[in-house]
Amino acid sequence: MKKLMPLALSLAITLAFAPAAFAAPATQQDLPMPAYGQDKPIPVPKIAKKTLSNGLTVWVVPRQGVPRVDYVLAVRGAGFAADSPQTPAFASMLAGLFTEGTGKRDSRAIAEAAQGLGGEVGAGASADGIFVSGNALASQAAPMMQLLAEVARTPSFPDKEVALAKANALQGLRAAEAQPGFRAERAISKAVYGEHPYARTTATVEGINAVTPDLLRAEHAKRVRPDRALLVITGRIAEAEAMKLAEAAFGDWKAGGPALPETAAAPASAQPARILLQRDKSVQSAVRLGSPGIAASAQDQIPLRLANTILGVGFSSRLNSNLREQKGYTYGAGSGVRLNRVGGAIVGSADVRNEVTGAALSEFLAEYKRIGTELVPAKEMEMNKRYVAGTYMISNQQQRAVASTLAQNWLVGLPAEFLGEYVPRIQKVTPEQVRDVSRKYFAPEKQSIVVVGDPKAVGEQLKAFGEFTVTDK
Amino acid sequence: MRMRQLPVLLAGLTFSLSAFAASADQWTLPVAVKKLDNGLTVIVTEDRSSPTIGVSVVYKVGMRLEPKNRTGFAHLFEHLMFQGTPNAKKGVFDTTITAGGGRNNGSTRPDYTNYIETAPASALEPILWLEADRMKTLDFNPTTLKNQQDVVKEEIRVNVKNQPYGAFFIFDIPQHAFQKWENNHDGYGSFQDLENASLDDVRAFHRDYYGPNNAVIAIAGDVTPAQGFALAQKYFGKIPARPTPKPTDFSEGLNTAEKRLVQSDALAQVPAVAAAWKMPPRGHRDQAAMAVLGDLLGGGDASVFYQGLVKGREIALNVSTTFGLGGPFEYDGPTVFTVFALYKPNSSADAMLKAMDEEIGKIAQNGVDAATLKRVKTRMLADWNNQMESFMNRADTMAKMQVLWGDANVVNKIPGWIDAVTSEDIQRAVRTYMVPTNRTVIDRKPAAMLAAPAAAAAPAAGAANTNTAAAPAGATK
Repeated sequence: MKKLMPLALSLAITLAFAPAAFAAPATQQDLPMPAYGQDKPIPVPKIAKKTLSNGLTVWVVPRQGVPRVDYVLAVRGAGFAADSPQTPAFASMLAGLFTEGTGKRDSRAIAEAAQGLGGEVGAGASADGIFVSGNALASQAAPMMQLLAEVARTPSFPDKEVALAKANALQGLRAAEAQPGFRAERAISKAVYGEHPYARTTATVEGINAVTPDLLRAEHAKRVRPDRALLVITGRIAEAEAMKLAEAAFGDWKAGGPALPETAAAPASAQPARILLQRDKSVQSAVRLGSPGIAASAQDQIPLRLANTILGVGFSSRLNSNLREQKGYTYGAGSGVRLNRVGGAIVGSADVRNEVTGAALSEFLAEYKRIGTELVPAKEMEMNKRYVAGTYMISNQQQRAVASTLAQNWLVGLPAEFLGEYVPRIQKVTPEQVRDVSRKYFAPEKQSIVVVGDPKAVGEQLKAFGEFTVTDK
Repeated sequence: MRMRQLPVLLAGLTFSLSAFAASADQWTLPVAVKKLDNGLTVIVTEDRSSPTIGVSVVYKVGMRLEPKNRTGFAHLFEHLMFQGTPNAKKGVFDTTITAGGGRNNGSTRPDYTNYIETAPASALEPILWLEADRMKTLDFNPTTLKNQQDVVKEEIRVNVKNQPYGAFFIFDIPQHAFQKWENNHDGYGSFQDLENASLDDVRAFHRDYYGPNNAVIAIAGDVTPAQGFALAQKYFGKIPARPTPKPTDFSEGLNTAEKRLVQSDALAQVPAVAAAWKMPPRGHRDQAAMAVLGDLLGGGDASVFYQGLVKGREIALNVSTTFGLGGPFEYDGPTVFTVFALYKPNSSADAMLKAMDEEIGKIAQNGVDAATLKRVKTRMLADWNNQMESFMNRADTMAKMQVLWGDANVVNKIPGWIDAVTSEDIQRAVRTYMVPTNRTVIDRKPAAMLAAPAAAAAPAAGAANTNTAAAPAGATK
């Protein structure tokens, strides 16, 4: 029952911006809206860095907040991009099975151990890697580090657990197919990335059936290795103690065989597709617009992030103001830039009632065109820069967000220092840069369009946007 | 005229908790409370570790007290709180907070409605001004009312009508588990009732339930109690108290006969079941035991139901649990403990319930061994700390506890309540609440699964495509 679904965390400094400019007192008795107070310096986390002899990178950020430690082991190149075309999203099952048995403990013993430490341990996959995460009460920092290393280094992939994971994944896929968002995401990824492995984010029946314990063991050995990994340690722990725990748990970890080749660059362009995913009696259309974007380390990334914030992040963004607050078409409209290691995607999204499907698409394209042609007014630039800065500060208040942002940045090729440099770099973006990157990446003519909905209800409205291929996949 | 300020409560207690392995893991939060002359309760919890703040304003009104012919109104009203005032027209609320570097949201629950913000500390005063401004009056504008009627309908479509399962374990269970209208109507609302909402309804609801005397504000983070109290006085102190209608009596006892329904789901491909048991009232001695039991049964991969149903019997795909629309300490009227699971098409709701009953029966008979109980409590206590980490959640939890319990410092007491729960307490709770007669069950099946056997049994029948097919004894309220 939230006012809007969770918004993507995005991230400004502080020049005088007077909110009072918006408001005048209605009566003599009412106080006028006060101006913002003096901004405080933006905190920059101090990150201690070390590389172990086996190549494992360790970053430590001691903090004095909640009595907890957070660990993230990021393993580069172990994610979906390493999956074969025959077994898409294999990395998800691989990571999920890390906690289903090791040389020392069975699945239940792992779950109970984590619970007893007041925490959790688990693993998941993304396009560029696998994250193994653990957290525990501050007093349990040492045993949780051991548990994290155990599940990352020595998963045993027991036959029974693999069989159960496969059976449940097949049912899970059936359940997911019923959700409009799942089908929309699969189709827009395919439209943007084509045959590139970044498109392989969802499993298939055939791919799940092809998984064996031997395949899992072989892929684990190839993919999960110290010379391709970063360990982030944050929380109530001293730097020296953290380094000691890392050395004890991971110091004797050896890579087996040669590392996998680097992922080839993702396409920078794609033929715009028009796809209508048939969903009879659907009472809404799940609308997605997508086009190829850029890598996280690409030149345009900073202005592109700010342009996307203006266009589609938060309640005050252009898309949400237009489609929700002015038109009432949707519960929430937005856009996102997905910055991966060797490429990326630009994806806009909204779920709208059937009658306004075409109208909603027109508004999306009009906003895309506007931000690529007209300069964003100074006040709106300033609002969004401050929003980015504040978002950074709010994230920085939360330990797990710091750990996961550092790990994600490293995975996509950004240095530890990026975290602290990000906001000052956003501050320097000009309206011209916003316009220019928007014209490049949000160009209406480059967008693929995916609609999940009822062809009988929306087919006619879509004709204005090109010829849609209707499919039930 | 200057108002007199009275500190009514000042608290900050420390507990020694045996379940925590070390004192290093204990976390006691400062709680400073003061009531303004107009009845607004102000809570400040200082934390200088980040130059940011969290704010929560919680009103003691939710779905239970909305007008009877206006289902969904409390939630629609929540949306209208963001739609402008005579002083700050539509859009100003959001843009001011955005330009302050912050974010905001609101949510509606049976017993309260909360409005939350977090931002760099430099935005605190404009945020307090905005909250005070909308506490005084709203814009009452036909255009924004229509706009948000449309938005709320899209919200219901995206979360319920267009989704498999339609969150039936949240929205359908109460309609069958409870007897009184306050507890069993659809809080998201019927489209007809939402469309019928008028500006007069909006004015009356704001006048009756949104006065300072029916509200609590909490501020967490980079602010001292003295600063927080002074700012609250400055921005809220002159808002006059307004009479609040006496709430109706919506209390009800435990159920005495099981209710069981089968629902057909046109979108789902995998069947699901929800089982819900009515809870003790807030403050009852069994409440903490039910909280611990909930975690023992459904809290993560080490839990009894996960190990017994997903693993073990291998009949479920997942198991999750919820206490109504919130946590086990965040209600102040009838609510349920609900287990929700997808089950495998070659299994059945009967098998799922039998398995749950077997696991529950073992606890009733043998209690919980000491090692398991310690593990469960250790993570619950850690989870409670985690919930209090973000300044926004910290402010929100304290404000909610003040509204529901009359004591914001409950946030520091809950760890002790959890720690004090014994195996005997859990056995007593199991025998009292986790019994079939106190249970409401919905078996939610894909339409195709239901159609096949029905067609075989009665080939002529046009398989009545009602959303809810009646099931055994006493299915409806």
